[in-house]
Amino acid sequence: MFEQFLDTILKADFLFSIIRITAPILFAALGAVVAEKAGVVNIGLEGIMSISALFGVLFSYWTQSWLVGVLGALVVGVLLGLLIGFFALKLKTDIILAGIAVNMIGGGGTIFLLYMFTGMRGNTGALVSQNILIPTINIPLIKSIPILGESISGHSVLTYLAFILVFLIAGLLYKTSLGLNIRAVGENDQAAQSVGISVLRIKYIAIGISGALAGLGGAFMSMYYSQGWNSGMIAGRGFIALAAQAMGRTEPIGTMLSSLLFGFAQALRTKVSGLQGVSSYLVSLIPYVFTIVGLVLYAISTTKKVHKYRQTQAEAVEA
Amino acid sequence: MSNRRMLVFNILRGAAAIFLALGVGFIFIVLSSDEPLNALRYLLIGPVFRIRDGVLSFNTTSFQTILAAMIPTIFTGLAVCVMFSASQFNLAGEGAVMLGGFVGALCAIYLNIPGWIHPVVCVLIGAAVSGLIMLIPALLKVKLGASELVTSLMLNYIIMFIVLHFLNYYFADRSKGATQTFSFQPTAQIPALIEGSSKLSWGFIVALIFVVIVALFMYRTKWGYAIRMIGINQPFSKYSGMKVGATIILSQVIGGILSGMGGSIEVLGRYNTYLWRELPGYGWTGITIAILAKNNPIFIPFAALFIAYLDKGCQLMSTYSDVPSEMIDIIQAAIFLFFAAEQFLAKYRQKIVVKNSRLEMENNNLSQEGRNA
Repeated sequence: MFEQFLDTILKADFLFSIIRITAPILFAALGAVVAEKAGVVNIGLEGIMSISALFGVLFSYWTQSWLVGVLGALVVGVLLGLLIGFFALKLKTDIILAGIAVNMIGGGGTIFLLYMFTGMRGNTGALVSQNILIPTINIPLIKSIPILGESISGHSVLTYLAFILVFLIAGLLYKTSLGLNIRAVGENDQAAQSVGISVLRIKYIAIGISGALAGLGGAFMSMYYSQGWNSGMIAGRGFIALAAQAMGRTEPIGTMLSSLLFGFAQALRTKVSGLQGVSSYLVSLIPYVFTIVGLVLYAISTTKKVHKYRQTQAEAVEA
Repeated sequence: MSNRRMLVFNILRGAAAIFLALGVGFIFIVLSSDEPLNALRYLLIGPVFRIRDGVLSFNTTSFQTILAAMIPTIFTGLAVCVMFSASQFNLAGEGAVMLGGFVGALCAIYLNIPGWIHPVVCVLIGAAVSGLIMLIPALLKVKLGASELVTSLMLNYIIMFIVLHFLNYYFADRSKGATQTFSFQPTAQIPALIEGSSKLSWGFIVALIFVVIVALFMYRTKWGYAIRMIGINQPFSKYSGMKVGATIILSQVIGGILSGMGGSIEVLGRYNTYLWRELPGYGWTGITIAILAKNNPIFIPFAALFIAYLDKGCQLMSTYSDVPSEMIDIIQAAIFLFFAAEQFLAKYRQKIVVKNSRLEMENNNLSQEGRNA
């Protein structure tokens, strides 16, 4: 059985599926990074993904253009981010509760919205046709490399965008004045205020960007991954993204690595559940258990670091 | 005097938030329905009134169904109350309900205990297991500083899949078409409070008793005080010598116990076999209820009644008109946002505060003048 297992995972299509599964988590996790850097907890990622996934399909169906669909999902994501921002920053609703509210809309509310706009219940089956799905790209040259080419080439436009965004977001956070402001606000908003940064504006921008990224993740899910929207399709990816961000120490590159780890866990789940004599339910646990174990390992490493730091401080004082 | 004015303001503010939320709901109903008035009628008065030939009559069975629907949500509402009071954003109530229900059900099938002790034992075991499972996010938070928010969200899925695994591979009754366990022993079932189809069991009374217990615990014991203090100001609690870590753990374990109890009481009172195949949703409803009750246990039953009424209304609306019952999630989300908004109508609060302090100053001046004279 173990050989069979190794056989399954050491294949190009396994690598391919890891990348494919990682992308939506990565989008949302990058959103969590930007928000967290500005000191905003965006627990509404899950709901934003679900709602913008729905609107992605709707917009692309109405205009018969996948690009408009993706942009629509992005705009809806931004609006939802700003909605959370408005309630949390302006009306002082606890930001976690504001996020939960958006998740509620993303849960049952989307079923209602779908019915309101189309009269359909539960899923968008009949709306989806091949030409409104996000197209895939074959990368010339790389395509012909064995194994690597098969796993890296042929993904959707948005998949590549997710990985490109890792570096764009890193650039935004560390190479632009906006990024500096975002980090300053997250580090200490009073200090930031005192040097003339508009804290409120920066927080709005950060949560707006966060919403936009989650919106792209949603579009990826409905317009490529599942080829259509159905309720419950996000299945905790927004929450896993929060875990990926925590595990990636709120850094874009680290978050990409932890997202890949979750992608691996999910891909493993799909592969293993095909094997004989394995409980599909226990296999389904893998990504979630990974998340908790990952968080624990991360937490242990930080507490150790703090401990070490304190020790060296104490030694320095003694000396 | 000043407090009473503030209380009136708070009640009016809450009412305004609810009306705004319902208003949002109405807008969506009008947008989506061809017969909005009919839909609204079922949403608002349908749950307790029967309308026949233009004559309104009170629908007792339907009212009892609403009371029965409050049983699990009172428990999850209380659970969220305790955890959120300590600022512990543990969202695993959902999983704890499912686990408590499952464990309670297993005890109801496989334990042989006479009469009325049987359900009590089942519920206690279910509650205890759910309380223990909450040690995971609680200990990770206290010992390692891992966010209970993320770990508890993951825990929900973990619990769900583990329960499904055991349900499918070990405890399923294969003679039935759907996946479910064998039937409970008749001794284990929680008896009905009122005979009939409403499923209103003695669990309702137990839930109300627990409202009082939790209220006393939160406001009349030192642990309850510590929980509330930590929620208000954690550093202060720490420096005044409270055991912050132990209290955080305590609050989450109590949350787990209450949720698990709600789950097992619901399963034993409503069904005669275990058949939840997904997270039942009571945990999330509990959060809405706790917010409506402003984390005060005494208000929990009223908030639960309101939500149960609304839920029933939405169900009727989807049955008898063309609006889907998921409407409730939109209304709940709107309630959430407005009700929890500190600054909602803050201008008026400011006015009251100013007025109060002015009156106070005048009174002071008067009394001083009196003294001077």
